[in-house]
Amino acid sequence: MSETDKKIADCYLGIDLGSSYTKFVVVGNDGTILFKEVIATLSRKRDQFEKNMDEIARRFDIQKTCSTGYGRDSYSGDMQKTELICASAGVSAIVDCHKSVIDIGGEDIKIIESDPNGSVVQFYMNDKCSAGTGAFITEIAEKAELEIGEMDEFARRSNSERMINSFCTVFAKTEILGWKFKGVPIEDIARGIYLSIVDRIAKMPIPGGLDIYLCGGVIRFHPYLRDLLAEKIAEKITIVPDPQFIVALGAAELSRKSNSH
Amino acid sequence: MALKSQVVLKDILKTYFGSLKAPIAWCTSVGPAEILRALGFEVYFPENHGALLGASRLAGKYIPKAHQAGFSGEICSYLTADIGAWIAGETPLTALYGLKSIPHPDLIVFNTNQCREVDEWFSYFGREFDCPVVGVYPPRYLEEIGQHDIDNVVVQFQKVIAVGEKVIGKKLDYERLKEVLRLSRDGSRLWKKVLDTAQKKPSPLTFFDGVILMAPIVILRGTQTCIDFYEEALEELTALVDQKFGAVPDEQVRIYWEGMPIWGRLRSMSELFINNQATIVASTYCNSWIFDDFDPEQPLASMARAYTQIFINRGEETKLAMMRQMLDEFNIDGVIFHDCKTCFNNTNSRFGLPKRIREEVGVDTLSIDGDLNDLRFFSDGQSRTRLETFIEQLKAKKQDAGRKSNV
Repeated sequence: MSETDKKIADCYLGIDLGSSYTKFVVVGNDGTILFKEVIATLSRKRDQFEKNMDEIARRFDIQKTCSTGYGRDSYSGDMQKTELICASAGVSAIVDCHKSVIDIGGEDIKIIESDPNGSVVQFYMNDKCSAGTGAFITEIAEKAELEIGEMDEFARRSNSERMINSFCTVFAKTEILGWKFKGVPIEDIARGIYLSIVDRIAKMPIPGGLDIYLCGGVIRFHPYLRDLLAEKIAEKITIVPDPQFIVALGAAELSRKSNSH
Repeated sequence: MALKSQVVLKDILKTYFGSLKAPIAWCTSVGPAEILRALGFEVYFPENHGALLGASRLAGKYIPKAHQAGFSGEICSYLTADIGAWIAGETPLTALYGLKSIPHPDLIVFNTNQCREVDEWFSYFGREFDCPVVGVYPPRYLEEIGQHDIDNVVVQFQKVIAVGEKVIGKKLDYERLKEVLRLSRDGSRLWKKVLDTAQKKPSPLTFFDGVILMAPIVILRGTQTCIDFYEEALEELTALVDQKFGAVPDEQVRIYWEGMPIWGRLRSMSELFINNQATIVASTYCNSWIFDDFDPEQPLASMARAYTQIFINRGEETKLAMMRQMLDEFNIDGVIFHDCKTCFNNTNSRFGLPKRIREEVGVDTLSIDGDLNDLRFFSDGQSRTRLETFIEQLKAKKQDAGRKSNV
């Protein structure tokens, strides 16, 4: 049996080249997820990307590839779509209703009104400032001497309503420093960071009356944000399965659908 | 494809800048330039210089010099770029047209119908050149324009005339003013016809052509040169319409641009829209130099009305009505609002207008952050993601509507 015969036929690849991580998803011709992988976008080991592509090529007969994310132009696949289009398509592959999608990514927050077919009805992104995004959490947590992996757990133990006022990430770090001087408990600091993010999201124009689905890398590591958002926004809010891979899934789905047209 | 008119324009601009010899008056771009021309001044427009600094991407070099001189980074970046260039003792006019410096003024006139920054900007140069400065301060943000508003501005124009007469040493010839105003009106009408060729599908020109072609209606308004140029441009564009030539190949969506151009990104933005089969067919900006109400028989009153009733000087209800008409005439699929960091007055996305356009007119809108000259306030990556998503959203809606109408 030749190498080609071992491959799974008729597959579609989505690559989400995000600001922090690059995600790969392969779907079959019925939309089933067959493969997913994540690597650091700017890893020193630049051959990681090629290794993944080699593995995908070895195992799957890829018909079409769609790249997305800020680095979408760096890969010359069959098609390129923005991460908003792909987030809408990815969530719609899981829930086929009229809905809102909130994607909290490494450098931005996107709010998307998505129709049952996965098309974007309208969208809103935070302004140029990255406050409230993954990069913001990483910076602030470092100043607070919090491990990213323990933030969620610490925050759940607090009832504090203290939050960071500053929009500016650098000034927010200064606020955290002030909290530490005052001896604010680490649990309250963790919750305060989340509250400031939720406050930022709650001020964005989220379409009313629609169920909300959360996706993106941040929600994967900080699921407590969902609980706080539900408190603030009072809509039905669900974290989609594998939230970090939703945009790559959407890209794979768009390449699959484009082939069937 | 570059329009032939754009090539002709280069010579016209060279001649214009070469002709700027004393007595010279500086004037705001939507100010009473006709009065100054009729008095016998050559007229120079600092806003044009500001745009040139932006388009040549020199603004980033000069803006910090204005900051050092005490001008905030959050005020008009035409002002900061222009004053910064002056402090540096440089101008792109040297390389382009051989001018040693910007033309020195004998008189400075401004009209705050667009913003108050021009007052501070032009007054700064009044001090630098020790030259008379006359400001026209029309009533702002009007819905209706009453006779008392017109009278108010006419009185202020009379002051411009009085100071101008003193500087140039002769009385204003009102017959000459009527003639200049007729030339302005005719040029303006032709400019409107040029812009209206974009009502055709596909459009033979885009916003990015418009911001180049508009130079004569700004700096040569009231001259025969301006009229001759737009007659030629109109002939060229009409021929392109007949050939069904589209400035954007395979035009799929038609867009309205609200707000200032991002001068330092004209080329890359133009390419982005071409690559996504989207044409910006109309804009508030290019249409701001259409002055239908110029009447040579009532020169001062009609100028007062025309210069006071511009979009930027109107109330929100009137702005909505003006945009509604444009969106209909140009068959617009979506509106892009440029939220221009340093130009509060030419930013119309901050009081709910995009939402009202969406809900009351039924046209999708998008706001992008940027600036006319200060590229520190513009993010290429963030903007590209927004713009490409918006265009895709518009395409999907059109396809969906097409499918439904075929059922």
